[in-house]
Amino acid sequence: MPLRPSTRMIVAGFALLAVIPACTDVTTEPQSTVTSANIFNEATSYKAYLAKLYGGLAVSGQSGPAGNADIQGIDEGFSQYLRLYWQMEELPTDEAVIAWNDAGVQELNTQIWGSSNQFLGAMYSRIFFQVSLANEFLRQTTDDKLAARGVTGQLLADVHQYRAEARFLRAYSYWHGIDLFGDIPLVKETDALTSTPPQQSTRAQVYAFIESELNAIKGDLPPAGKAEYGRVDQGAVNMLLATLYLNAATYTGTAHNAEALAAAQAVIASGAYTLDPNYHHLFLADNNTSPEIIWAIGQDGKRTQSYGGTSFLIHASIGGSMDAKSEGMDGGWWGLRARQELVSLFPSPTASPDKRALFYTQGQTTSVTDLLDFGKGLPSTKWQNVKSDGTPGSDPGFADTDFPVFRLAEAYLIYAEATVRGGGGSRAQAVSYINALRQRAYGDASGNISDSQLDLPFILAERSRELYWEAKRRTDLIRFNTFSVNGVWQWKGNILGGRPTTAIHDLFPLPATELVANPNLKQNAGY
Amino acid sequence: MLRTAFRSVVATLLAAVPALGQTGTISGRVVTADGGLPIVSAQVRVVGTGAGAITHADGRYSIVVQPGRYTVRALRIGFGADSVRDVVVTAGAVTTVDFQLKASAIALSGVVVVGYGTQEARNLTGSIRTVTDSTFNTGRIVSPQQLIEGKVPGVQVVESNEPGGSVSIRIRGGTSVTSSNEPLYVVDNVPLPTGDNGLQKTGGVSGGRDPLNFLNPEDIASVTVLKDAAATAIYGSRGANGVIVITTKSGAGTSGVTATTSISSSHVAGGPNLLGPADYAAAVAKYAPANVGKLGTAATNWRDLVQRSGFGQDHALAFSGNRQDMNYRLSLGYLDQQGVVDGTDVKRLTSSLAYSDHLLNNRLSLQANVKGARTQDAFTPSGVIGDATAFAPTLPVMAPGGGFYQYPDPLGPNNPLGELALIQDEATTYRGIGNLQGKYSLPFLEGLSVTTDAGFDVANANHTTFSPSTDQGQLENGLGGTFNRSTSTQTNGLFDVYGNYLRGLGWMASSLDLTAGYSYEAQHGDYPTLFAQGLSSDLLGVNGVPTATTERTTVFVDDSKLISFFGRANYSIRDRYLATLSVRRDGSSKFGPEHQWGIFPAAAFAWRISEEPFMKGFSRLSELKLRASWGVNGNQAFPNYRAFSDYVIGGPQAQVQLGNTFITTIRPSAADPGIRWERTASTNVGLDYGFFANRVNGTVDVYSKKTTDLIFTVPVAAGTNLSNYLTTNIGSMQNKGVELGLNVAVLESHDHGLAWDASFNAATNTNKLLQINAVGTGGEQILTGGIAGGVGSNIEVLQPGYAVNSFLVYQQKRDASGKPLYADVNNDGTINEQDLYVDQNGDGIINQSDRRVFHDPAPKWILSHTSLITYGNADFSTTLRAYLGNYVYNNVASNFGHYSALTGSSPTNLDASVLSTGFVNPQYFSDVYVESASFLRMDNLTAGYTLHSLRGVRQARIFGTIQNVFTSTHYSGVDPTAGINGIDNNIYPRSRTFVMGANLVF
Repeated sequence: MPLRPSTRMIVAGFALLAVIPACTDVTTEPQSTVTSANIFNEATSYKAYLAKLYGGLAVSGQSGPAGNADIQGIDEGFSQYLRLYWQMEELPTDEAVIAWNDAGVQELNTQIWGSSNQFLGAMYSRIFFQVSLANEFLRQTTDDKLAARGVTGQLLADVHQYRAEARFLRAYSYWHGIDLFGDIPLVKETDALTSTPPQQSTRAQVYAFIESELNAIKGDLPPAGKAEYGRVDQGAVNMLLATLYLNAATYTGTAHNAEALAAAQAVIASGAYTLDPNYHHLFLADNNTSPEIIWAIGQDGKRTQSYGGTSFLIHASIGGSMDAKSEGMDGGWWGLRARQELVSLFPSPTASPDKRALFYTQGQTTSVTDLLDFGKGLPSTKWQNVKSDGTPGSDPGFADTDFPVFRLAEAYLIYAEATVRGGGGSRAQAVSYINALRQRAYGDASGNISDSQLDLPFILAERSRELYWEAKRRTDLIRFNTFSVNGVWQWKGNILGGRPTTAIHDLFPLPATELVANPNLKQNAGY
Repeated sequence: MLRTAFRSVVATLLAAVPALGQTGTISGRVVTADGGLPIVSAQVRVVGTGAGAITHADGRYSIVVQPGRYTVRALRIGFGADSVRDVVVTAGAVTTVDFQLKASAIALSGVVVVGYGTQEARNLTGSIRTVTDSTFNTGRIVSPQQLIEGKVPGVQVVESNEPGGSVSIRIRGGTSVTSSNEPLYVVDNVPLPTGDNGLQKTGGVSGGRDPLNFLNPEDIASVTVLKDAAATAIYGSRGANGVIVITTKSGAGTSGVTATTSISSSHVAGGPNLLGPADYAAAVAKYAPANVGKLGTAATNWRDLVQRSGFGQDHALAFSGNRQDMNYRLSLGYLDQQGVVDGTDVKRLTSSLAYSDHLLNNRLSLQANVKGARTQDAFTPSGVIGDATAFAPTLPVMAPGGGFYQYPDPLGPNNPLGELALIQDEATTYRGIGNLQGKYSLPFLEGLSVTTDAGFDVANANHTTFSPSTDQGQLENGLGGTFNRSTSTQTNGLFDVYGNYLRGLGWMASSLDLTAGYSYEAQHGDYPTLFAQGLSSDLLGVNGVPTATTERTTVFVDDSKLISFFGRANYSIRDRYLATLSVRRDGSSKFGPEHQWGIFPAAAFAWRISEEPFMKGFSRLSELKLRASWGVNGNQAFPNYRAFSDYVIGGPQAQVQLGNTFITTIRPSAADPGIRWERTASTNVGLDYGFFANRVNGTVDVYSKKTTDLIFTVPVAAGTNLSNYLTTNIGSMQNKGVELGLNVAVLESHDHGLAWDASFNAATNTNKLLQINAVGTGGEQILTGGIAGGVGSNIEVLQPGYAVNSFLVYQQKRDASGKPLYADVNNDGTINEQDLYVDQNGDGIINQSDRRVFHDPAPKWILSHTSLITYGNADFSTTLRAYLGNYVYNNVASNFGHYSALTGSSPTNLDASVLSTGFVNPQYFSDVYVESASFLRMDNLTAGYTLHSLRGVRQARIFGTIQNVFTSTHYSGVDPTAGINGIDNNIYPRSRTFVMGANLVF
């Protein structure tokens, strides 16, 4: 006997109710992507993550040369760490100008930036991108987590070293942070990812953190010169410490020249590095073979591509009548030239007698009478994508030339400066270090100096001759108090002849976007 | 077993019919007023009761009711409703009521589709507008959205000018910034995918052009726009941008064969103002004498060389028939339309089948719609339009030594004719979409019905580009030929079940219409890509990959689900006081685990004032209805998995060298596990009016929409997440506006005399961003609106207090005559920003902080007019459209309007604006380039002539249409409707199209 229709309905209704729980689960999980839940199931992921921490300095995103950018709010090519840092260290100084009209870039040439400047904002974001990624790596590789994932043996030892490197890279970026922006938040791995904006720390507090971190990780890193290429060891730690101490008066009000001297001496004394006999080799496509480099940010024409880094430096300093091919590139971007004040530090612009004067003069004027005209000012040929034997790098679009962050010559210069600043050490040793550099530059002793010539103005000028266009100048000028209220060069203060600016320019403003996102922050004075 | 079940069903059916002695019957026939053809599937309702019936193929119906005095109404989509008052039914007798329905000229048909059901137009409480095929735009229409351009107040349709190119629709302004602003499309009960995420666009996957191109406009019967929350809340988390319901034609009411055929010719109408060879040579001689030698003496109009007259043809054939309770319509269509730039073409083959039947003594109605289409798109290679703008007019097409002439510097533009000749860029999209709907009227409770929908939507799109090794771009970068293919497949399934209970209540002659249901939608996408570079041979083109030095394959799989419960109650008292309450509870996989479910309620009330006894004296006023509604909608059109922190695996060009090994990196992404839908609450007050038996009728609507929990990709406090921007629910915005619609039968035809129907629409919308961060300190800006010129330059801003995407520019100083100043004002030896712009913040220097908000791209008023004139057998129609208060950034002028473009290594052509501005260096951020782009355009002009009773042909109409007859504007760039974001940067040129065709009914 068939069921009554109403009974059927009831049965059907119950059947429907039974099905409903299955029909109300809306969760779908990512299938073609990896997440924090499964990424470390693969042992190679630890090194892949570490590589990203280094890569954050070398490329701009995950696709290369552009695509899947690390940070947003700015063109990806512009957002590359090294490019941003280089521009901020060089363009406001007496060493370089850029010709372009991209929003905000001329403000760097002339020291008229405001907090809306996109390059300042991106630099700040880049610094904290590195910090956040390093923090996340440290959170993902705690002893507990490693044990839970069954990490033992060689991998465990490797991960311990990776953690030290992550802490180094975090300290390195924090140093940029306090150098450029002053008081910034100090976010550590113990702070969970959260939407609560962090408090602002003082420059001195972050300085103290960097110092303690660098001292803490030394033992977990290989001795100077023993790390594999592209990775940091104790040599890099000591160089960063030396730099930090040398500028300690800027950051904390208290000089630490003795400590700077000791750190530089440790690098020199390690014996792991020697001056490259050929100065120009340090800036060529095969500079990875140079014995002088302590730590470099790796670039590769085929495998590490971006529109920043040395590809930017070389592309942008080609234009006018220059032959891009002879520098290993496919064309020029008509951007970067030296200011006449840099050129005038050398006896002549044409590598004679000082071989470090690598400038292109044909069809160019020395004076930068027009910022936007590439023909005004001398482009530098220091950075090139050819090898020391003259053959081009692997790709004309992207340079093979690595960017030396620290090299032995700077350890010499720090030793000399710390000595002159009363940090101890021997003046004779300082003079001999300086003369080692000058002898390489002149090819003989004709450029050597005597003890009486070794003073602070000389060291500042010598640093420029040796390290120009290596992203050191702004920090140097501020340490010597000649960046803003003192010192005049073309276009400083936005007039052709140049004029002093105010001391507020010794710090960049905190980005306007950051002040909105983090109401705990107080803007730097004057902005 | 089946037989027993069937018997029991029949027994139940019989039992459910009340004893005849206590009831009477209303029966009759519904036919067309024009010709007396039977109308199938018309609804006949006994007003104030739940009783009703649907007409059979012969137009007949029959309804059993209690004895009494009733008003009976007959309705069908595409026809004006008709009602007969004072029908007296006596016990045991049959009362005959026949109806003659008129095909409705202007969108006031009797029944409109609302979500999960239909409703009588006169009982609507929300703001809903239907456009039927008789009033669609005519001419060469590739994408169905163009059918209603200028037809509905408050609906902005923005085309991309390219045939079949993406069409954007804004209903009452955009409600979102990061998520999609496009409405939800529902095609024959199947909602199409929403959101633009790189894998799909709103409407589904496509090979590059508009995903809705799978629909042949010839197959569409009506397009209904649901505008206010009362109407859209039944679509819950997808309703915030409005809903467009597309209903395709069925076989009801028609029998026979219809053939439509047309050919067309399109011509470029407007382009950038570039210098000709003589002016250009003079400029080079003056500003870049060093480059004179580089630049040749040819006279080449590069734009003309890449443009052409686009030929088009469109043919459609439809067969329809009726038999007893069944009807069907089968159609086939073929379209081939060329664009006005070489290389652009769309070919479309469509088929559709609609089938409807009534079974089980009319208690079960089945309706099936199945559509299939193949679209073949050919694209102009992406650089061609820009390169044809940039290439110097004094350079020759061919190099003296053979081959295409190229700039020596690899960073210069490439020869556009070379690109056209060598690069192939094409796509093929297959789409199948179908739905089977069964509606069963339950026998034991009159008025109760259960409807189920089972739908599918399957799309496969293949997009392939091929650049041979000989292409200049490949040569310059040493790439050796590149092949790129993406194959997207999306499979969406839909299951709905809902019940409807319609019942008249004795009290106050009220009636109740309840709907409640469940919906399950699942979407699965599979997106493999194939990339090969350094090809060993160019011979295979887009059709194959020989061996290659670099080959890369990716596979991406993506799933999402949407599960919903919904309900709606319509209650009416005396046919005068109407109320609608609706609610939808949506669960979506796109939301974070903590916020998977959301509730979207709405309420609406309407008062048909004209039905009140006290209005009887106002006989000229035929209709007056006041409506008020409030509701909440969501927007979930953002990519899947936003709540998860995924690790992005690096590409082979973003490796890092550690030691002697290059390592592929991994990077965690910023994520917000709490991400949820955007919430738009809106209120609407409207008035529907009609005078002189609705000869003059229209609507007035005033609305306000506030979106909160706006999903924004915003800067987050440094150190708190894994990138500097996070996509999260932050911020709010507001849209307010007024819409006016007026339809007038200016002249009514008597005996084939002159008839003129005119309609006028006007809508204004004001958009304002209220907040874009959690703190709301004010002054925050997010730059947007990328332009060509410089690198990474943005011209627009998101800033609280202003409209979304307002322009952010310097205020150019001008001389007394209004000409932009270009001089060394401060005598510092150079002309730069310091001389040219106003110091807004008064700090003595001009930097990025001195850019100010200056107008925005959205039109403040959109006006449109349609006229339809018939005289005897002739018909004429036209549509006029105007925007007021919209602004466009002329990016071609800013990017090419400076003499320094002549001094680089690859001197380009100049925009003629440089002759008046005299700019030497580019001034990308000057307000000079933000131009008023108000315009008046005649979108189309059509004339037709109809012949009746030819031998073997029932009816034949020949017609001719001109589209884009004229545009009147002060805007100096390519097109005042330059995309939805108001940036005119080498957009596809607009065309004027001439169409001729015939429509035959056998």
